[in-house]
Amino acid sequence: MGSEPKDTFPRGERAIGRNGEGEKEKIEPLDESWIEIMDGKKIGFLIFLLILAIFPPFVLSQYWLHVMIISLFYVMMASSWNLLAGFTGQVSFAHAAFSGVGAYLSGMLAVFLGLSPWLGIAAGTFGAAVLGLGLGFLCIRMGGIYLSLTTLGFSEILRIVITNEDHWTRGTMGLQVPGLFAVYSKTSYYFLFLFFAVVMLVFIRRLIRSEWGVTFRAVLNDEVAASASGINTIRVRILAFTLTSAMAGLAGGLYGHYLMLITPDIPSLGQMFLVLAMAVIGGMGSFAGPILGSFILEFLSEYIRSWGEYHVLLYGLIALIMARFAPEGIMGLWAKRRRNPWAS
Amino acid sequence: MGVLIEGKNLSKAFGGLTAVKGVDFHLSAGEIVGLIGPNGAGKTTLFNLITGIFPPDTGTLSFKGQTLLERKPFEICRLGIGRTFQIVRPFLKMTCLENILVGIIGRGEKGRGKGEKHEEAREILKVTGLSAHEPRLAKDLTLIEKKRLEMARALATKPGVILLDEVLAGLNPSEIQQALELIEKIRSQFQITLFWIEHVMGAIMKASDRVIVLDQGRKIKEGKPLEVVSDPRVIEAYLGEENA
Repeated sequence: MGSEPKDTFPRGERAIGRNGEGEKEKIEPLDESWIEIMDGKKIGFLIFLLILAIFPPFVLSQYWLHVMIISLFYVMMASSWNLLAGFTGQVSFAHAAFSGVGAYLSGMLAVFLGLSPWLGIAAGTFGAAVLGLGLGFLCIRMGGIYLSLTTLGFSEILRIVITNEDHWTRGTMGLQVPGLFAVYSKTSYYFLFLFFAVVMLVFIRRLIRSEWGVTFRAVLNDEVAASASGINTIRVRILAFTLTSAMAGLAGGLYGHYLMLITPDIPSLGQMFLVLAMAVIGGMGSFAGPILGSFILEFLSEYIRSWGEYHVLLYGLIALIMARFAPEGIMGLWAKRRRNPWAS
Repeated sequence: MGVLIEGKNLSKAFGGLTAVKGVDFHLSAGEIVGLIGPNGAGKTTLFNLITGIFPPDTGTLSFKGQTLLERKPFEICRLGIGRTFQIVRPFLKMTCLENILVGIIGRGEKGRGKGEKHEEAREILKVTGLSAHEPRLAKDLTLIEKKRLEMARALATKPGVILLDEVLAGLNPSEIQQALELIEKIRSQFQITLFWIEHVMGAIMKASDRVIVLDQGRKIKEGKPLEVVSDPRVIEAYLGEENA
């Protein structure tokens, strides 16, 4: 752990997603000194990113590019939810609600005040963070199922308010909002989503590898023992709640301005359970799990779309099977396979 | 030797059950004080009062002259009171190194790098004889190793006092010997005062400077180990009234 270079993510990566020319910039930092200190994992990660940056926009059809964009939205949602639930043990059902806060706040600011969607997304992120702080504060003394139920209640209240306040939100008809680019292009949106997803993932990765990650997991493992070891568990929990709510708000804001039609489906429980299923099936408490789960479930849902309501049944079935045979998700299965040769 | 922890007239009731009734006690720097008594005597409750898990109903508590009342468990830990738990509570899904790191991070010191903290954590693993287990998850350890890890984590918070809650329970004789050696090391090498709940009488009689006996929430005796075991009230508390 300690012997790794401090700068986990080489400079060039930040260029990804800004524009199509980004790929060339990324190759430059890979001089010999970098190769020396990078292990196979990081090189693999870079190659994966490179493929993600080059391949989809130029090879995939508009339809599949759309699926990729939605997948990236879910990557942000599932990874940030995982940071909260998988690392501090606060299984919140309000994550989709916070993405709804981001989407609606940003959308309404654009529609009613004519604010630029970029500023709107920033405001939506901030708004979600403030609400997350408040909800996190409310849930201080709650753990486990009580926290989940409270956040579930919050989520439903928010959805009902949004549905009924139709002079502001247009209710179930949906609020039409402006896009982020003057000229609509799925490729632009794809790079935008890729950029924010990568930035968010880099942030999460750094956080869980830092001291904060250790304290997060200490709180997850045993709150009493953590506080008896000098950890301010309340601060850790509220920080995680606020931070991940902000991430959901950001993802929701981007999502809203991509779809250009915001409906109460965004902060719905259906959406929440989908995000939850992605994180759980991929592997809660691991970094790669939710990323994997998001892509798998989103792509799967495209193939089984024709099943209508039954596709929810399939998700439920997969989640059940996973819960029985691989409670640590796909990543857990993989880790087990790697560990086994040494075990008896 | 100055007084480190002082509690006066401490009481705590859970509904109709009074777990601790008007207990006075003190710990002086450098002492090993044993806390004994039959099951349900209120020993662990007293520990939980000191470490701020819950507040006492009456009475005062202080550490080095500062009050412990109204303080949260993590603040009390940072003041310098570490503890272990009767039923071990290491962070099961974290490695041994990470378990120790939590204690080091818990001190809340600023301006020390990751490498330095890792170095210190390894040092503590070495002292407690856990070096070989550094990358292992705590859940894969044996009971004695888990108990060692808990003591190591408490050590990592750099306490002035460690409260040990039945660290010998469930260990076999040779493991008890190892644990006693570690406890002796903690006292002599790190100059840490120990407040120690134990049911293994032989061990606590040998190691303690002073013993406090609780029965049904009250302090019934305090004194040198030999005085205490010969006191009829203590014998009665443990074995029941004579000719009863």
